[in-house]
Amino acid sequence: MTLAEADVGATVKIVSRRKGVAAHTGLAGMGLQIGERVVVVRAAPFRGPLLVEIPAGNIHVALGREVAESVIVEPAEALRP
Amino acid sequence: VSVTVALCGQPNCGKSTLFNALAGFKANTGNFPGTTVEYTASEVVVGDHVARVIDLPGTYSFSPQDAAERVTREYLLSGKADVIVAVLDASVLARSLEMLLQVLEMRIPTVVALNMMDEAERKGVVVDVPALERRLGVPVIPTLATRGLGVVQVAERAVEMAARVPAPQEIRYDRDIETAVRELTLGMPAGLAESLRAPARFVALRLLEGDTAFESAAREADPGFLELATRRRRELAEEHDLPEDAFLASRRHGLAQLLFDEVARVVPRRPRSWRDSLDQALMHRVYGLAIAALVFALLFLLTFVVGDRLASLTGKPFDALALLLRPLAEGSFGWALVKGLADGLAGGVGIVLPYLLPLLFAMVLMEDAGYLPRAAFLVDGILHRIGLHGKSIIPFILGYGCNVPALMGTRILENQRDRVLTALLVPLIPCSARTVLILALVAAFLGPLYALGIYLLNLAVVAVVGRILSAAVPGPSLGLLMDVPPFRVPVPRLVLQKVWFRIRQFVVGAWPILIVASVVLGAIEYAGISAHLNAALSPLTVSLLGLPEAVGVTLFFGLLRKELSLLMLFQALGTENVAAVMTPAQILGFTLFVTFYVPCVSTIATLVREIGWKWTGVSVALNTGIAVVAAGLVHLVAG
Repeated sequence: MTLAEADVGATVKIVSRRKGVAAHTGLAGMGLQIGERVVVVRAAPFRGPLLVEIPAGNIHVALGREVAESVIVEPAEALRP
Repeated sequence: VSVTVALCGQPNCGKSTLFNALAGFKANTGNFPGTTVEYTASEVVVGDHVARVIDLPGTYSFSPQDAAERVTREYLLSGKADVIVAVLDASVLARSLEMLLQVLEMRIPTVVALNMMDEAERKGVVVDVPALERRLGVPVIPTLATRGLGVVQVAERAVEMAARVPAPQEIRYDRDIETAVRELTLGMPAGLAESLRAPARFVALRLLEGDTAFESAAREADPGFLELATRRRRELAEEHDLPEDAFLASRRHGLAQLLFDEVARVVPRRPRSWRDSLDQALMHRVYGLAIAALVFALLFLLTFVVGDRLASLTGKPFDALALLLRPLAEGSFGWALVKGLADGLAGGVGIVLPYLLPLLFAMVLMEDAGYLPRAAFLVDGILHRIGLHGKSIIPFILGYGCNVPALMGTRILENQRDRVLTALLVPLIPCSARTVLILALVAAFLGPLYALGIYLLNLAVVAVVGRILSAAVPGPSLGLLMDVPPFRVPVPRLVLQKVWFRIRQFVVGAWPILIVASVVLGAIEYAGISAHLNAALSPLTVSLLGLPEAVGVTLFFGLLRKELSLLMLFQALGTENVAAVMTPAQILGFTLFVTFYVPCVSTIATLVREIGWKWTGVSVALNTGIAVVAAGLVHLVAG
């Protein structure tokens, strides 16, 4: 599934990036690396962006829907309760 | 100048704050990523040296595709910097280390400023500084740039390190990568590393990452060598089961995480702080937008109430002076000039500064607290409807202060199309000069509700124009990707410095123009030239817009500075009680025209630099067209 499909509150692991989409090159530099576990903290109104926390780095990143749709994830266990 | 020191680091890590702490307040700062878009340089005395300190724009990595990141990298590799101060945000240390690893690979003497130690502490990140120093092989100095702590030590160590040869790279990648690096450095064509001004190891690593700039240099030197590098990259990526363009970044990420685990630990923090609660409310799906609307309405009212009070206080002595000078000015050229001078001075103190001060103050508070990225998050969905994305809101909000930095702020948008669209819309946003006008004319003579109406109408126009433009300007939009930094309590000293910094921009940059133009107006009025100018403009002003003929010259001079339109209106009408000589519809029409038409020469110059002549032409036509239509409609309906 893609990051855009993950529920608010869910912890997911980034598996890969979808090919063929106008991809953001900055994803990795901002901490959204393949293999990283992230938590979907909240979603903005009007099909707005997702706010994602990278617990390992204490980082919050906002991703627009189309960016989130280009990130393939799988469900993962939460890092902290 | 004996030493050149370059500050580099990830966006919003505090580079500019550190720079300002060293050099006095010279660079713009703010709690949002991408505040710095141009180099700022300053000479700083450190001990018995004079150091040239360069504040570079922030970069998350040195990825080849991103233009801004390439610029910073090219500066660092140009050999101009004797020493690098790598500023790390200690609260996001693992990610900061990823970038630092790349900086160290350049083999330039480096000092690490471990900044935002207070925020790290709050997040429960405890760093073993001596251990980090040992592992990196470079000096690490904890800093709190907002309070100036550790800043002098950083500068002193930097000057000291400048003369030294950097220690050999301490941090190594996995064996398979190091093997490939060794093979590539040994087989590297002679002169390649030198032509790129980079160490061979750095070149090899960049090639393994698929850096396009380095690849084309390698192709030129020896196509066979590039082929070898490409083959090794493919093999390694396959082995690690990762995409080719991601594998080295991913390994570096692992390395940085390992390093982080060695030198830092995370202690559990209190479950919820006021910051979380604040975010809960401000970024809430429903309340968040309502709060945002309320905040902006309050900001507007506060600016009006405070500005109005201040203006009536500071304007009084000048009113008396103007009364005294008016009869004199009619009889003698000398006195006409003196009156122009007095009017120019009065305009600055009595009209512009009173409104400017509260507005700038409120904007600085909002910027430093970190509200802008949150606003961007909230409105991204809405801005999508007009073909933009959330980050565009940051230039828009900055535009209410001044369009010039707002236009430069469009550089935070990665995509050229998004940049052009945003830059075309920014000049429609009423800047502080136009706000002064709206408040001093419409709010003062027609009531604050009318003024609020102008802002709402303005937003509607921006939305409609944005929608049309985004349909007309082709190209993909990349979508939002943005760091959301934590809320920070604005530091009073820095807030005051920043407000002063911007006030000074008005006092030094704009006020002299106001005064000179005011004197010129006094002269041409005495000579009777303004009547010709007014007559020439009367088809527009009188016939089309239904305004008094006397406003022609004010609109003309308003091209220099928007404040001028207001001051000259008072001058041209011969009174500050505009309501006595203009009907409410005329006041509204005049204000709408000034609000929408071309902002000022500085904005146009910035537009040319940012998006080129062609788009600047579009922007000027757009602004003028909307201004004529808006003011013309008022005339049609009310006249």
